[in-house]
Amino acid sequence: MNRGNRTLFNRMTLLALPMVASFAFLSACASAPVAPTVSLTEASQAIARAEQSDGRQYAPGELDQAKQKMTLAERAVAQEDMWEAERLANEAKVTAELVLAKTESAKAAEINREMDRGTRALTDEMRRSGEM
Amino acid sequence: MNKQRMIPAFFGNPMALLMVLALVGGCASTPDSPSGAEIARSNLTALQNDSNLANRAPMEMRQAEEAVQLAEQPLPASQSRLSEHRVYMADHKIAIAREKATTRYMEEERGRMAEERDAARLAARTAEVDRARRSEEDMQRQLAELQAKPTERGIVLTLGDVLFATGSAELQQGADGNLNRLVAFLKENPDRKVLIEGHTDSVGAASFNQQLSQRRADSVRYYLVSNGIASDRLSVAGLGEDNPVASNESAQGRQQNRRVEVIVENE
Repeated sequence: MNRGNRTLFNRMTLLALPMVASFAFLSACASAPVAPTVSLTEASQAIARAEQSDGRQYAPGELDQAKQKMTLAERAVAQEDMWEAERLANEAKVTAELVLAKTESAKAAEINREMDRGTRALTDEMRRSGEM
Repeated sequence: MNKQRMIPAFFGNPMALLMVLALVGGCASTPDSPSGAEIARSNLTALQNDSNLANRAPMEMRQAEEAVQLAEQPLPASQSRLSEHRVYMADHKIAIAREKATTRYMEEERGRMAEERDAARLAARTAEVDRARRSEEDMQRQLAELQAKPTERGIVLTLGDVLFATGSAELQQGADGNLNRLVAFLKENPDRKVLIEGHTDSVGAASFNQQLSQRRADSVRYYLVSNGIASDRLSVAGLGEDNPVASNESAQGRQQNRRVEVIVENE
């Protein structure tokens, strides 16, 4: 009795496990009816930050790409392809973050170049007047 | 006992077997990780091996590492869009880490650059002070050669009456030595202005002496101008006999009183 019960339990478990797994897998793909609001918001905020920090000037290509991804993400929402919308929103966000990082590094490089130029000018001037 | 039964249980359920195979097969069908992930991995490794950048953006580096690991996970061919997405994310996280680390590296460089700039600035200032001191020394030496005396009006050079014949305003030959030193001094100190004053002794009419002193001062002025000194730096006064520097009673005193003084005005 005892032994028979256990066998039945094992059989059912073994049957059920893959099915549950498969359902979980299928349902993940098939249903995501809610728009990825958080990702979309974060992406548009990242784009706004990139634009405010002169990203247009320092990384125009990436900024255009981020905005294009955003447009595609919104289109995917309209087509109820929410997984694709989420991926595109994340891509838009990471691209906008790169715009910001590139802009900051370009500005830092400008400051350093300016400092270096100042020092070189002093050194050159001294060398010239030393030759006099 | 149970284990022995497990295997037949799978084969006994074709449905379950199919699903398991589908899942396993999905994983197995792309044994190679996507080449995009390989490129991302090598880009990340290059960044991690860059001693200037490796430790300067730890958070971004960790996120890049995680993104690359995700991109490296094999996916079934049917998931090519997801795979592409992960590679895209990894590429961008690496680029962000590189830019942030570069920014921080440059910010840290500024301390060293400021030190270099300050050192250059100090050296330039020291050199400038040295130059100024040297030119001041040069000027003092030249003035000493001209036997100049500093006074409150400026530096006074006295050109004695040996420059002129008695009653004449024409420069005698041999006057050039002193005057040429004056020309050289004025050329090297282009900011200095000069007052040329003529004086006489008390012999003769005062009006004649005044005119004579004026003509002698003019002669010196003319000499300086013809040797390239701008005339607007030179003013002239004929002061006659009223400013003796010695007694007019003796010949020696009168000789001292017949003179042209060149006053180099203080800056």
